[in-house]
Amino acid sequence: MKKVSIDPITRLEGHGKIEIFLNDDGDVANTYFQVPELRGFEKFCEGRPVEELPRIVTRICGV
Amino acid sequence: MAKLKLALYWAGACGGCDVAVLDINEKILDVANLADIVFWPIALDFKYHHVEAMKDKAIDVCLFNGAIRSSEQEHLAKLLRAKSKVLVSFGSCACFGGIPALANLTTRAEIMERVYVEAPSNDNPGKTLPQTKTQVAEGELTLPELFESVLTLAQVVPVEYFVPGCPPTVDLILKVVNALATNSLPPVGAVIASNKTLCDECERKKEEKKITKIYRTHEIIPKPDKCLLEQGLLCMGPATRGGCGTLCVKVNIPCRGCFGPPAGVLDQGAKLVSAVASIYQTNGDEDIARMVNEVADPAGTFYRFGLSDSMLKKKRLQRR
Amino acid sequence: MLKKMLAQLGIEEQRVRLDWVSASEGDRFASIINEMTEQVRALGPLSRDNGGKNG
Repeated sequence: MKKVSIDPITRLEGHGKIEIFLNDDGDVANTYFQVPELRGFEKFCEGRPVEELPRIVTRICGV
Repeated sequence: MAKLKLALYWAGACGGCDVAVLDINEKILDVANLADIVFWPIALDFKYHHVEAMKDKAIDVCLFNGAIRSSEQEHLAKLLRAKSKVLVSFGSCACFGGIPALANLTTRAEIMERVYVEAPSNDNPGKTLPQTKTQVAEGELTLPELFESVLTLAQVVPVEYFVPGCPPTVDLILKVVNALATNSLPPVGAVIASNKTLCDECERKKEEKKITKIYRTHEIIPKPDKCLLEQGLLCMGPATRGGCGTLCVKVNIPCRGCFGPPAGVLDQGAKLVSAVASIYQTNGDEDIARMVNEVADPAGTFYRFGLSDSMLKKKRLQRR
Repeated sequence: MLKKMLAQLGIEEQRVRLDWVSASEGDRFASIINEMTEQVRALGPLSRDNGGKNG
């Protein structure tokens, strides 16, 4: 099946790619959105002092 | 002078460095006069294949922000290195690892488990984890491989300049833009900030450094004109490069070291342990025990932005 | 405090020791070194993970 990739998606915050699979008629058979990044804030914030969290989690998104 | 070709890219980043470039407000028009931006995912629609099609060294300057912890980020670092004459490690993440480097205090396996299985908002009874290759009815989908550790840009490719900060300040960014415009970049390898510590540019009154208690930031309201370290707050100023204009200290919160170690210091966290321990007045083991107790999270605080750039770089796991 | 931080970085506190020994305390120096050597040997090698992309 033919595949069209949009990589990376742009003009927004974050990383993403879109894979579009086309059938033989050239119509869209299926589309997948993937997020190819992971930093792990959910885990490494554990064990940090609570009063430091506002200065840490603000780095999840700088926009 | 022909317009420079400028690229900006983000790896393990938050977008803050890209927004910081936009924070120069109307001066972005000067940048537009000076350069053609050929790649900038947050703002422009160029794709990876556009970069891959460029000739080597076609890009004059690339500002690369974000830490490296995936095969895709490593690939882009190598790609942009090949296509750029000058590669700038932009922001604390690219320079030192930044906040994402705190992940080096845990493991990749634990992160995956927490994010995809344990987190309370998940609905993943099959405990599915992301895979680098997944077969779907229509074909194959791929995802990058996540590395065991978070790396700085310079640990992956050679870099010409370093601009620290979380994010780099507008002043610093304008310095870089001016240097490009007037073709007056410093010698290769330079960190574009101050060569002294934060304390040197801090305007607070500094007297004798002797403390008998370390306070957590919510425990006291500090006086605005006295050194924060002298008031018992953990301020990373003594072992942090200056050049940021002491923005945090000016709003009465202690520095957390985002500009990285000053010139000549190999390991910022170790220097901070020294600095704090040397000013704490102790009269025996009980006082020492109390001091250690008062510092709630030494590794996470003293290496807040610089774990990848430290000597140990990450938590050593028990050998099986 | 260094020990507390090293523990967070996965390095056991028994691997670090601070002592003061004068130049005239040869025997004491030798016995401290021997003690420390055995202590570290019993702990075994540190993990080889040094922060590279594959650990």
